[in-house]
Amino acid sequence: MIHRLDPRAKIAGAAFLLLGISLLHPVAIAPCALFAAWLAAILLLSRLPVGLILLRAAMVLPFSAVFGLAAWFAGDRARAISIAVKSYLSCLCVLVLVAATPLPALLRGLEWLRVPALLITVAQFLYRYLFIISEQAQHMIAAARCRGAHAGARRIRFQAAAGAVGVLFARSYNRAEGVQRAMAARGFSGRFPSARLARCGAADFIYASAAAVVAAAANLLASQPV
Amino acid sequence: MHIPDGFLSPPVWAALDITAMPALAIAARKARAEIDDSRIPLLGTLGAFVFAAQMVNFPVGFGTSAHLVGGALLVYALGPATASIVMTAILGIQALVFQDGGLLALGANVLNMAVAGVLAAWLPLALFQTPRRRMVPVFTGAVLSVVVSGFLAVSELLLSGVAIATSVLALSLALFIAAALIEGIITVAVIRAIERLQPSWVRDIPPRSSPALGAVAVAAIVLASAGVIVATAAPDGIQQLAQKTGIASRETAAISSPLRDYMLPAVGSAALGRAAAGLIGVILIFAVCILIGRRVARGRGAAAGGGV
Repeated sequence: MIHRLDPRAKIAGAAFLLLGISLLHPVAIAPCALFAAWLAAILLLSRLPVGLILLRAAMVLPFSAVFGLAAWFAGDRARAISIAVKSYLSCLCVLVLVAATPLPALLRGLEWLRVPALLITVAQFLYRYLFIISEQAQHMIAAARCRGAHAGARRIRFQAAAGAVGVLFARSYNRAEGVQRAMAARGFSGRFPSARLARCGAADFIYASAAAVVAAAANLLASQPV
Repeated sequence: MHIPDGFLSPPVWAALDITAMPALAIAARKARAEIDDSRIPLLGTLGAFVFAAQMVNFPVGFGTSAHLVGGALLVYALGPATASIVMTAILGIQALVFQDGGLLALGANVLNMAVAGVLAAWLPLALFQTPRRRMVPVFTGAVLSVVVSGFLAVSELLLSGVAIATSVLALSLALFIAAALIEGIITVAVIRAIERLQPSWVRDIPPRSSPALGAVAVAAIVLASAGVIVATAAPDGIQQLAQKTGIASRETAAISSPLRDYMLPAVGSAALGRAAAGLIGVILIFAVCILIGRRVARGRGAAAGGGV
């Protein structure tokens, strides 16, 4: 259900939520529950693997912990907690957006939002080759380990690593040349043809405005003296 | 260092997002001039290469290992404007797919790494490329790109009111400088390795042979990034300056109110005033350094009997 929404509506919804979370008063923690409830509802509606998503979002916590602890020891406990909560919720927001939207659709939505076309095209190519080249790197690392890359003097190991990165660069470069020729042969003119986005339906508007209402409500709640 | 969402205060991320947009538009237009359309797949694969290259561990001693950051390497392979587009694409994919860095903070991360970092890597190369010691500007550029990005990120966090104790601040700055030196060494080693394979893959920038201008520009970058930190860590002096010059005339009321740290608009205007004052100061320092450098270089050129 969430998956079928227009990417623009989902981007707008995520933007409203992020905006709402960011605008919250630093010491207001209670209204965050509202965001958490909304995100939980969307998560359940979109039938994503809840546990996995919650875990993935926790990846931001080490970073928050460093600055949270710094703020905690500086005596600003409210801010320390709010940093952790806000960064976790923001991360969850992005995850829900990305998990429920295929990346090409997401980038198409961003293009509609006037992100430079060159940037979108580069991001598409990058995403296409990201896992291929990473896998190549992993093969090379494994092969180097088999040949005893973990032993030997540090200088030698350093040189070997530099050589590996150099070869990886060469392979990426050669791959690009092959891709270039193949795509030129198929009439690629520097930009991917993309289907026109469908018009936003009622569900899209409802989704985006509901997110906006949640964000506004949380901020109103925070501004009220408790 | 990718700043996640939830750290920067609204005025800070909003200002940085708004600044990043025209910067990106300019970079996109310049990149169109730097490369022709058939080379676009290369930008994607090299972006993917930077991701993959970060998996390769370099032993750096003390039992630890480091990896390439890659911003400077992209500059040498692609040229500045194109490198900044590729870096932006990397940051965007990292924010969207890997939750590395926030979406609202994307403008901040783009400015730190894809704009300021790339410029810092490119300036030494463009300004003091000497035929014999080719790796000196490469090393300097790689070091500067990491230092500038890191310092900017820390100062943005400070501007947002994230409390960092002085000792922690000093430690993190020292770590940034160490990481920057390592990045310089790794970048030089990797570029040497690439050149052994195929020299034409690394861009040759025509030597302009004005080491004085280059040295002054490098000094300006170092001063500027240090200035940003000082301006944000010790805002009192800057604030006085801002009040005198009238930049922050509106914020006097906010400062006198006892609860200023808990009032969003007040914090906003104070932070903005501070940021504006700091930024103007840094730009002034930079402009003065560049002007002096030009003058020095021109004087030399005239003395040698040639033009500029």
